[in-house]
Amino acid sequence: MRILDYLKRRFLHAVLLLAAISVLTFGIAQLAPGTFLDEMRLNPQISAQTVDSLRVQYGLDQPLPVRYLRWIASAFAGEFGYSLAYNMPVSALLWTRMRNTFLLGTTAMLIAWSLALPLGIWGAFRPKGWIDRGNSAISTLLLSSPELALGMLFMLAAARFGVLPTGGMTSLYSEQTGFAVADVIRHLAIPATVLALVAAPMLLRHVRAAMLEAWNSPFVKAAKGHGIGNRRLLLHHALPAAANPLISLFGLSLAGLVSGSFLIEVIMGWPGLGPLFINAIFARDLHVVMAVVMLFSVLLVIANLISDVLLYAVDPRVRAEC
Amino acid sequence: MRKLAIFSLLAFRAISGIDSYASSAPAPERIQRGEELQVSSAEVGRYGGTLVVGQRAEPKTLNPVTATDGPSREVIGRMMADLVHINRVTQQTEPALASSWKLSTDGRSFTVKLRQGVRFSDGYPFSADDVVFSFRVYLDEKVHSPNRDLLTIGGKPISAVKIDDHTVRFDMSQPYAAAERIFDSVAILPQHLLLKSYEQGSFAQALTLNTAPDTIAGLGPFRLKQYLPGQRLVLERNPFYWKADRDGHRLPYLDEIAFLFVGNEDAQILRFQSGETSVISRFSPDNYPAMAREQQNRGYDLVDLGPSLEYNFLFFNLNELPPDKFQQISREQPWFRDLRFRQAISLAIDRRSIVKLAFGGRGVPIWGNVTPGNKLWINRELPHPERSIPQAKDLLRSAGFSWDEKGKLLDLERKPVEFTIITSSSNAQRVKMATLIADDLAQLGMSVHVVPLEFRAVMDRVFQSNDYDACVLGLGGGDADPNGDMNVWMSNGSTHLWNMHETKPATPWEAELDALLNRQLVTLEYKKRKRIYDEAQALIANNLPFIFLASPNVLVGATKQVANFRPAPLEPYVLWNADELYLRQQGVATAK
Repeated sequence: MRILDYLKRRFLHAVLLLAAISVLTFGIAQLAPGTFLDEMRLNPQISAQTVDSLRVQYGLDQPLPVRYLRWIASAFAGEFGYSLAYNMPVSALLWTRMRNTFLLGTTAMLIAWSLALPLGIWGAFRPKGWIDRGNSAISTLLLSSPELALGMLFMLAAARFGVLPTGGMTSLYSEQTGFAVADVIRHLAIPATVLALVAAPMLLRHVRAAMLEAWNSPFVKAAKGHGIGNRRLLLHHALPAAANPLISLFGLSLAGLVSGSFLIEVIMGWPGLGPLFINAIFARDLHVVMAVVMLFSVLLVIANLISDVLLYAVDPRVRAEC
Repeated sequence: MRKLAIFSLLAFRAISGIDSYASSAPAPERIQRGEELQVSSAEVGRYGGTLVVGQRAEPKTLNPVTATDGPSREVIGRMMADLVHINRVTQQTEPALASSWKLSTDGRSFTVKLRQGVRFSDGYPFSADDVVFSFRVYLDEKVHSPNRDLLTIGGKPISAVKIDDHTVRFDMSQPYAAAERIFDSVAILPQHLLLKSYEQGSFAQALTLNTAPDTIAGLGPFRLKQYLPGQRLVLERNPFYWKADRDGHRLPYLDEIAFLFVGNEDAQILRFQSGETSVISRFSPDNYPAMAREQQNRGYDLVDLGPSLEYNFLFFNLNELPPDKFQQISREQPWFRDLRFRQAISLAIDRRSIVKLAFGGRGVPIWGNVTPGNKLWINRELPHPERSIPQAKDLLRSAGFSWDEKGKLLDLERKPVEFTIITSSSNAQRVKMATLIADDLAQLGMSVHVVPLEFRAVMDRVFQSNDYDACVLGLGGGDADPNGDMNVWMSNGSTHLWNMHETKPATPWEAELDALLNRQLVTLEYKKRKRIYDEAQALIANNLPFIFLASPNVLVGATKQVANFRPAPLEPYVLWNADELYLRQQGVATAK
């Protein structure tokens, strides 16, 4: 029952948080100068009357609260507003792109954790060893490399050597070859690697620090004294003790990697939410902006919730606090 | 293990060579008796292959009536056809779905003869009913088509009347000089597919990217095959297309055109250079040298088409502003309104350096609103005064300006002349232009600050708040005919950028310009009309509401496999004759 009360409380917090985010995002988005119709205004072949009538048709002449309430009504109807650029409900634009973004984000996250976890644990097990020193140097280099530069570097290499595609998600006619999945994997290679390389150093440092703390704790030293072997000690005693911060980090990294992929999606032509979101911001297609922001807010909330539930499950101290 | 290795190798080879797989486009239909085909004069080609095009943004709609963005229009233009078409190379009109047309003696009506035996891409016959329906839709105020304004002459929309199944008469309230050019890019719609949505009031939502391909039909050389959100849009051959080559083969030659959405110009170039795309349309001059170096190695040709129709300019805020709200701008406006001040600025700007530094030498300096790219309408007699700081200083002196001991320019109230130029931060060339102007004007003792802003923030300041001193912008690129720019130059025009709120001419020269533009609008004979428009250009150049700077060249490229490649300085630069393009080798046209 306590877990249910805990979840109820977390859910209520999440709903309030999302409501606050929606109001703030809508308000801030409307504060940005210019409207969707401005590009049309610069076209001498379109009269001011046409632009004004479109403004009325799109409801841009209505007061802010009215526009917000209309968006909320549309969101509850499952449409998440109306895209002025695409002339269709926003929901129709979201789902395919969301799937693509999740595919990229989760692949990158898996790669990043697959690198960070063993390397971090090894770094804690053999601090100052040559692997640890190598990790430290490489992660410093990667942390100081902007995501954009890394992406461009990989793209240039792909263009130069022609082994991997320089962008996109599938090849023309890939569906005819019977290797459609392999084709997607080939297209995933560069963007997922870049994202993983950007995320892995931070994860690695957290894993190493958490493991080092657990490894040097008195109970591990006592266990060593009892003659328990290093392997068992590492995996069965130190790792569970270090899990707490890592579980929180896992939730954050899930949400972070998915939203953090936007820039890479744009430069590599990955058909996810990134290009849609960035173009919508520049075009002032505000319902699309709202929908994407809310989607990621929900994702962040869910990821945090999963972390909390996992913590509740693995850590008796959290259970005691609830 | 060995089997796995062999399988992996085969899979990799198959995936790497995916693009060489054949398309499944329909074969061209046999030419039927009585079918009135238009014969292309282009080189006879061969069928087959896919042309891959990289687009910086994805199209937003497939609806030709409501589309305003470039990518949508580029795609729709390949799926739809118009009655009369402007040849992008000659800039003259030529027959399309209309086999001929005749203007009445009073110049108020066009009688258009339609081609016989034409069918839509779904095989449905085309008739005058489709033309009348199309114009009904374009002219319906509730549909909000941007084309409606072009089809409104003398304040009244033109009317389309069916005479018989293959004849339509268009009536206008007054003679119209641009004549049949107005039919260019007005796509003829399939009444049999769209009447229902139009009558239900949902036409604006018809023909979206999510519309099923088999419910979309057009009269263009290609039809929709596949749309993958954010990835690509593939068009396949329209097997019923109404053009043939000299040997009687029905066009188009290409099986398919695939538009890949690559996101930005850098990715567009990278994909072109890596051989993933076949043509590249209008790239920045900054990228030209690096691309040119790789031409031979990578098997493509770049083409510099010379000046575009785009004119870049500096203009000052001459709007009537409430002085209490805009104290600073109001204090500066007497300078901006003084013609001698604007002339001095024009004389101080080094246009040749702008061309060299902003466009890498691939552009031309301009002194008027019509660029050398517009062969039919440029006034070649306009003076091109060379840069002269002493002359500029003389003009400022005559207008009452002076200089302090440090060389700073002072106005009549002995206050320093200092202002800000805003421009769009997303356009690197315009930011460079503004910076170079600021440097040039420093030599006159002016203190000029450049503030790059996000594009819509610039638009907001120019069109809504009027909170700016000066701005660098660019216009042009559409039709070569002067009427396309009427809203810029008419005093009550909606793009009358320097003074947005004029309802009647604010100055005598603007009244004169209005009169000239109205006269050319109803003058049907080209030579007479050209003389009037030459006068209008001279008036604009003399009064400098815009200080014209430079026009960039149109730079395009294609792989050597693409034949009949005849790019033009008018949009759409490379695909305007997509029906005539063919590939020298089968498969997907890419570079080496």
